[in-house]
Amino acid sequence: MLGVSVLVFFLFQLVRFNPAYALAGEAASTETVANISRELGLDRPVGAQLLTHLNNLSPLSRHALDPAARNYLEPGSVKAITIMSSSSHRWVLKYPYLGRSFQSGRPVASLLNATIPNTLLLALTAMMFATFCGIILGMLAAMQQGSWLDRSITAGSVMGIALPSFFAAILLQLIFAYLLSSFTGLKMTGNLYEADEYTGQIYLSLRNLILPAIALGIRPVAVITQITRSSMLDVLHADYIRTARAKGLGSGAVVYRHALKNALIPVITSVTGWLASLLAGAFFIEVVFNYNGLGLETVNAIKTKDIPVATGAVLYIALVFVLVNMLTDILYGLADPRVKMSSKQTS
Amino acid sequence: MSILSIRDLTVRFAGEQGTSTAVNGISFDLQKGEVLGIVGESGSGKSVTSLSVMRLLSEPGSIDKGSVHFGEDAPVDLLSLPEKEMRHFRGNRISMIFQEPMTSLNPVFTCGFQVDEALMLHKKISRKQAKTETLRLFEQVQLPDPERIYKAYPHELSGGQKQRVMIAMAMSCEPDILIADEPTTALDVTVQQTILKLMLDLQQQNGMSVIFITHDLGVIAEIADRVLVMYKGNIVEQGTVEELFHNPQHPYTKGLLACRPPLDKHLKRLPVIADFMQEQEDGSLHTTPISVQDAITRETISTADREARLQQLQEQDPVLQVKGLKTWFPSGGNWLGGNKHWVKAVDDVSFDVYPGETLGLVGESGCGKTTLGRTILRLQEPTGGQIIYKGRDLLSLSSKEMRDLRKEMQIIFQDPYSSLNPRMTIGAAIREPMTVHGLYSNERERTEKVIDLLEKVNLSADHFGRYPHEFSGGQRQRVVIARALSLNPSFLICDESVSALDVSVQAQVLNLLIDLRESFGFTYIFISHDLSVVKFMSDRMVVMNKGKIEEMGPADAIYHHPQSAYTQRLIDAIPGGGSKAEVERRKPE
Repeated sequence: MLGVSVLVFFLFQLVRFNPAYALAGEAASTETVANISRELGLDRPVGAQLLTHLNNLSPLSRHALDPAARNYLEPGSVKAITIMSSSSHRWVLKYPYLGRSFQSGRPVASLLNATIPNTLLLALTAMMFATFCGIILGMLAAMQQGSWLDRSITAGSVMGIALPSFFAAILLQLIFAYLLSSFTGLKMTGNLYEADEYTGQIYLSLRNLILPAIALGIRPVAVITQITRSSMLDVLHADYIRTARAKGLGSGAVVYRHALKNALIPVITSVTGWLASLLAGAFFIEVVFNYNGLGLETVNAIKTKDIPVATGAVLYIALVFVLVNMLTDILYGLADPRVKMSSKQTS
Repeated sequence: MSILSIRDLTVRFAGEQGTSTAVNGISFDLQKGEVLGIVGESGSGKSVTSLSVMRLLSEPGSIDKGSVHFGEDAPVDLLSLPEKEMRHFRGNRISMIFQEPMTSLNPVFTCGFQVDEALMLHKKISRKQAKTETLRLFEQVQLPDPERIYKAYPHELSGGQKQRVMIAMAMSCEPDILIADEPTTALDVTVQQTILKLMLDLQQQNGMSVIFITHDLGVIAEIADRVLVMYKGNIVEQGTVEELFHNPQHPYTKGLLACRPPLDKHLKRLPVIADFMQEQEDGSLHTTPISVQDAITRETISTADREARLQQLQEQDPVLQVKGLKTWFPSGGNWLGGNKHWVKAVDDVSFDVYPGETLGLVGESGCGKTTLGRTILRLQEPTGGQIIYKGRDLLSLSSKEMRDLRKEMQIIFQDPYSSLNPRMTIGAAIREPMTVHGLYSNERERTEKVIDLLEKVNLSADHFGRYPHEFSGGQRQRVVIARALSLNPSFLICDESVSALDVSVQAQVLNLLIDLRESFGFTYIFISHDLSVVKFMSDRMVVMNKGKIEEMGPADAIYHHPQSAYTQRLIDAIPGGGSKAEVERRKPE
């Protein structure tokens, strides 16, 4: 995580664009820009900026007691416990502090925390849709290998892999939310929570999740279909399947009990791998459907040169990747008893 | 009254070049309580026959015609039953054990569950009752600690233990017929013996009928009452074990009988099937009328000749001296990387090898013989000791000097299927080591050398551009031998080089190794778990157990006067070349 934070910091430094210009507007005088720069700490040397940045992120950090100082930690910005203090400074234990948005002045963490459940819900729905459809399609294809069904599923999945997700999104939007909107009742854009036009009451609108989730899920469906199909075909020719049939088991028990669990091992790896990369895909989808998630927030932040928000978003995504990879290992161990064994041996 | 009656069974396989007949209208009966052996080499149709009885034949094979009647009083034709009714027979009335215990059990379920499943299905009992029954079965097949095995996954068990689980599963519903398809081929000789004994005991207790399929007539002698010999989809001979062993009629049967290394005599070369019959271009057989006895006697070497050869060999200076060699592997240990435990794969081993000699290395799986072979070539770094080859200590050589020396020292591995790259023609595979070591001045000369080598191992120049999948197991092993010979080595280590092959093919490869020794004066270290093969090949033999040398001496002396109980056990495990009566006589009790 430290590596990611340093890398992201330098990436934004490379842009060599002073966000103060964007904030001040086109007509602003040089003086105004300089004032804004000083206020945001952008006039300081790069090294000093990096140290402040890392100090803010670190769970254990040193802050000045003087409210005018650069590294003063505003009370209430983040949960913190002082563990040691001297006349001018104090050491605190705290949650990582991501700073405040240049644009709105709100703490970055609260901005992102508001959007992340929307994105996660979108990604998870897409993934559930993809896993469910992918495994069923893959199994259907494998069981009837060589039939017209198998061939059309395989052909469809090749197209699904080739289709860029933003294009799929626009296509779905056009067909279901514009041309067929009276029939489907779906809207072109929308958020998870909507305010009623008359009463102003906020309500949950899961309807707005359908099209984005499908658009996001198309590629994973195609990939999971192909992986399930090929791993199922491998497993169906394995010796232990012959043993299961020799036991007298019916084809249902052979396929669903003996073959499926083995065939799903490679699928689990790919599902969890895709969950992480879906976050990247969500960027496009959220922009197209104007869906208020982490992706839309990040894209807006980059457009307006709101560096703290963009940096924070990247860190959030990196964290999600790490967590998802840990989840993969756990799931893998549950599905395949051999993994547990080998980890026991190496430890 | 027979319990299984097969009439005119024909099985065809649809291939790219039309259909081929795997089983050609065979008919036979299986009596109640009888052990019927079916013997033949790979591709003779013996497994296809058994799978047809179970109706488990998979694409592209299909049953063309014939009938399989099961039952004594009111026989049913299994081949005309609907699939749903057939399931009541599978695993219940007829069950099957397969060749590969490693892959025949489902890796994601516990062994206990896999046996429970069959019981719950056919006996309609609860999970709890099934567990009690399974534990009883595990006890019956002599698995140690049944409670632990019940909860264990297949990968946590040894090959022999997995095969016992398979047997427990097959026996669980007290079937009328048990079909065992090469159940011991993938196992060590000593494990094979215990499994055979177990199957025979269970068969006698339950009075069931057994069809036992194998390529090895020695194994058949241990277990069967009656034998069918299959060759190219036909039954060429059948009879009781005694009849077959003492008065074989068909030349193929004679060949199979003669090609097992004999224990009481010492042969120059092994008789092979080609000594008894040859297939002509038009598919007809040309037979040589010679008896098994004559074929063996023709090749016998006298004891005096052997002793003279051994003495002559030992008068030279040893080419390889191994002194106090140790190869230990770390195990356990803590997270700091410190090691508390060592697995002593090779522990303080010393021996000499003389030029032109074949030193046999024999022992069970896990005794350290493979590690020893690899350590001598420094494919595995030793923990301590000395390896002196032609007066130079190999352990003090730099990696470049060692690379030069590898030209002289080659190893031939066990599995001819995985040791060849499937995407490389065999010609290129044999040529590659020469290119790497810069032998000969150009590719053309190397190619000529490759063709020369192919001819030496009884293949031809036509084979140069073919890919490994076009070859049979025996041919592949010859390709591997040709590749090892491409660098003109003088010292060869054969690590279980013939263990994966049919007995009849094994004889051909062993003969090839002997011919090469005669014409090039190679020195061999020959590693195997089968004492009969080692005895045939070697001048002297080393018996290894748990990383240490159990005993060492002239091959004949060890066989006839074993000093340790462990060697005796290896000798007893050799499948009998004689009848059941002889086997009974050899049993300790």
